[in-house]
Amino acid sequence: MISRRALGLAAAALPLAARAQDARVVMGTWGGDYGEILRQGVDVAVATPRGLEVVQEIAPAPTRKTKLLAERQARRGTMDVVGLSDVDMYELAQLGLFEPVPAGAVPGLARVIPSLKRAYAVPHIYSARVILYNPSLVPVPPRSYADLWDAKYRGKVGLSDLLYAQYVETAAIVGGGGPSDFEPAWAKLREWKALGARVYSSNEQLAAALKSEEVAVTVMWLARGFMWKQAGIPLEHVVPEEGATSITYEMAVPRNARNKAGGWRYLDAMLDVRGQAAFAQRMGYVPTVTDAVLPAELARQISLTEAERAKLRTPDYAYQARMAPRVLDFWNKEFKG
Amino acid sequence: MAALILPAGLLVLLLLVAPMAMLFRISLNEYSPTQLMLEALQPGNYLRALADPYYQAVMGTTMSVALSCTAICLVIGFPAAWWLARMDSKRKSLAVILTVFPLLVGNVVRSAGWMALLGRDGAINAALRGLGVVSEPLQLLYTEGAVIVGIVAVVAPYMILTLSAVIEGIPRNLEEAAANLGAGPLVAFRRVVLPLAVPGVVAGSVLVFILCMNAYATPVLLGGPQFKMMAPAVYDQFVRGTNWPFGAALAFLLLVVTLALTVLGSAVVGRRYRR
Amino acid sequence: MGTLQLAGLSRRYGANTVVDGVSLDVAEGELVALLGPSGCGKTTTLRMVAGFVEPSAGTVRIAGRDVTRAPPHGRDTGMVFQSYALFPHMTVAGNVAFGLEMRGIGRAEREARVLEALRLVRLDGLGERLPRQLSGGQQQRVALARALVVNPAVFLLDEPLSNLDAKLRAEVRVEIRNLQQRLGLTTLFVTHDQEEALTMADRLVVMERGRVRQVGTAEELYERPADLFVANFIGRVNALAGEVAGPGEFRVADGTALPCPRDAAPGMRATLCLRPEKLRFQPWASAGVPAVLARTVYLGGQTEYHFTLAGAPVMALRETPPAGDRLRGLQPGDRVTLDWLGEDARLLPEVAR
Repeated sequence: MISRRALGLAAAALPLAARAQDARVVMGTWGGDYGEILRQGVDVAVATPRGLEVVQEIAPAPTRKTKLLAERQARRGTMDVVGLSDVDMYELAQLGLFEPVPAGAVPGLARVIPSLKRAYAVPHIYSARVILYNPSLVPVPPRSYADLWDAKYRGKVGLSDLLYAQYVETAAIVGGGGPSDFEPAWAKLREWKALGARVYSSNEQLAAALKSEEVAVTVMWLARGFMWKQAGIPLEHVVPEEGATSITYEMAVPRNARNKAGGWRYLDAMLDVRGQAAFAQRMGYVPTVTDAVLPAELARQISLTEAERAKLRTPDYAYQARMAPRVLDFWNKEFKG
Repeated sequence: MAALILPAGLLVLLLLVAPMAMLFRISLNEYSPTQLMLEALQPGNYLRALADPYYQAVMGTTMSVALSCTAICLVIGFPAAWWLARMDSKRKSLAVILTVFPLLVGNVVRSAGWMALLGRDGAINAALRGLGVVSEPLQLLYTEGAVIVGIVAVVAPYMILTLSAVIEGIPRNLEEAAANLGAGPLVAFRRVVLPLAVPGVVAGSVLVFILCMNAYATPVLLGGPQFKMMAPAVYDQFVRGTNWPFGAALAFLLLVVTLALTVLGSAVVGRRYRR
Repeated sequence: MGTLQLAGLSRRYGANTVVDGVSLDVAEGELVALLGPSGCGKTTTLRMVAGFVEPSAGTVRIAGRDVTRAPPHGRDTGMVFQSYALFPHMTVAGNVAFGLEMRGIGRAEREARVLEALRLVRLDGLGERLPRQLSGGQQQRVALARALVVNPAVFLLDEPLSNLDAKLRAEVRVEIRNLQQRLGLTTLFVTHDQEEALTMADRLVVMERGRVRQVGTAEELYERPADLFVANFIGRVNALAGEVAGPGEFRVADGTALPCPRDAAPGMRATLCLRPEKLRFQPWASAGVPAVLARTVYLGGQTEYHFTLAGAPVMALRETPPAGDRLRGLQPGDRVTLDWLGEDARLLPEVAR
């Protein structure tokens, strides 16, 4: 056995290797468009010139989440930075998986929208949950979430299995509850099911169903709607009268990351306006920094008006985490069953 | 000899038994939304899973799909295996490659192919509507039938290769001897080939049944969101629900049921054909 | 029992002709052996009779009926396979009863006939054993009983003795022959062992490269082989190439004159064949053909004497002379003279091998 001390001595004797180790940052991320924009807009454009060597570790969110959990007792984890949705991030932060963001470690935080700041993560991009509809099948646009419970949309509402927690919150809002009270959701969801709301296994299958006009309406992220429109699916969006709920994608440094310093430097690079603008243009997500300037037409398509923003809700993460088992159970057993 | 086996044995122990033991330990813990799980030694997760009609139904679906797939594999696999086993060696290598070809394609990619075939706007519906057989598209995808077809396509090669290895070991001249004594091909098959192929039937069925019980990608993609088998339910608990103790309990129940049915089935078939 | 007739039977695999125009009549109760080196087409011929191989041309008639296109189970042949092909999952009695069952024979009669067949092959009381519990010889007899019990029109034996040890082989040979004669079985027998064929068969068919070389009794084939191949295959032979020089005189390339039959036409190019036991020799120069002893091989009762005659090897076989006989003192390199009766030699046409 080689002692850790001996290893430390060996590392000290190899300053070059040690430096290379400092530069290397393992970034746990989604693949596809997200990973690619991250690579071009952040890694190549900003992080590499600043002396970081970024290695992407690509996996779907649930996989990375499970990996972080599985590694939680290991002294050294595999990822130096990890990106997840705000809800997942909160759940894992509760379990003490992330390093608190040290003051001054990420200078770019000064430019971040204050309401999006977290103690355990840095916000990357955000969007809002809205209603998407096919204007040729729905001549009179719905105005609220509640409208989707109208019998005229019988069998025309399509849902994605991945967003089940979002639909529970939506139903709660319609039933008089809200982000911190899901109790009214159960009855409303049963009603929705009776009205023939269809569930699709993935966002892609929902998109295919919207395109083939199998369904005409859905509740989805505005950014995703923007991408689907770009892909030629005939869709318009409505910000519901009840107020949209935000989704923020965040990045954090795991407590057992090998290269925490590199992780913070990467998070600062991620806040650079170039990367932020690239995500807006290609994926329709709104920058989390105040100094990113978007073309007016793009801004109109992907962001909310002043009035809509005033009604924007933030999820109650603690409540949602507590309710998670019940939400999944209800969704699996009753809504889909 | 023992010394030679030791390293491999330890490796198996480490890679197979240790994770299973950990999983079993987890299944006795208590779920906690804020701390992932609390150390405990209690059977609550098992009791909950056993008592819940939902998981009873999921287990029932899993068993019925696995049994159907195994039976179908046996029926379609036996002739194919016989044909493969009796083929001359030059053509056989090509046929074996063709048999395992489906395994070279990932489950997800293959399922995407089935979706393109079975979907509302898929090839089959397009053909049926084009021919005027149906006016409205048939619901082919997201049915138990689609899952069974999809799984059979994945596991049939295992059945065929297992059976064909055993059939190859049955001297060809036994069939000739039967024919020479006046048995037509079907009688020769039933009286000579089939009884001698029983070890292959058992091995192939066990292999296929276990694979079917644990199918994940195919039920998710071809069964659709409403269709549930055990493996996706376990995944749901671990990954979506972050409820490791309950997920571990479900995984163990699946393991126990699979093992029990496998042992029971082999014993019944074995006794029926043993002299 | 019935007759077996093969007419122009051929089998080709692509460009490769394995059996080439075989015609043969097997009379009722006759045992005919197909004999030849491996790859000569004898087994393929047998399998065409059984129906396992489809002929490319020609016909197979069993008891007068054309069965060329009939499936194996519709031919009424009883075959004993080289490896016996006993059904390993059935008892001895089950194996023997199988053919009777296929013929729809009722239980009582079936059991009686199985017992009878087992008695015939001296396996009484072993009916409930599994094949793997029997010795090789016993398994072979089960295979015989299984094929015989159905009273097939034609009995087919595919090298049935090749898996037995030498001592057992001699015994079983006699046993099969007795059984065949007693029951009057029309039998086609495949073997590569000339001794087996000579001792068992009424007639032999010597095959080579898919063709029939000669058909005849053991005596005919040994004493009057049609060609050098048959002469070489049945027994041993001294072969010397040359030309008939005059009445009773044959000359090899270097001009040495050898005795040959008087009726041979002068000028004919041929191979002179002489069986080793017909070759006489004397160690003292006198009238005869000069040769040099190369070596002797002592076989106990008999001794082989190998000579060099005009550069070609020849061999004489004779009883080992008694101890003290002058012949016992012969050494390699000693000069001898060879001699034989011209009528004992046989002139065969040269064949391209």
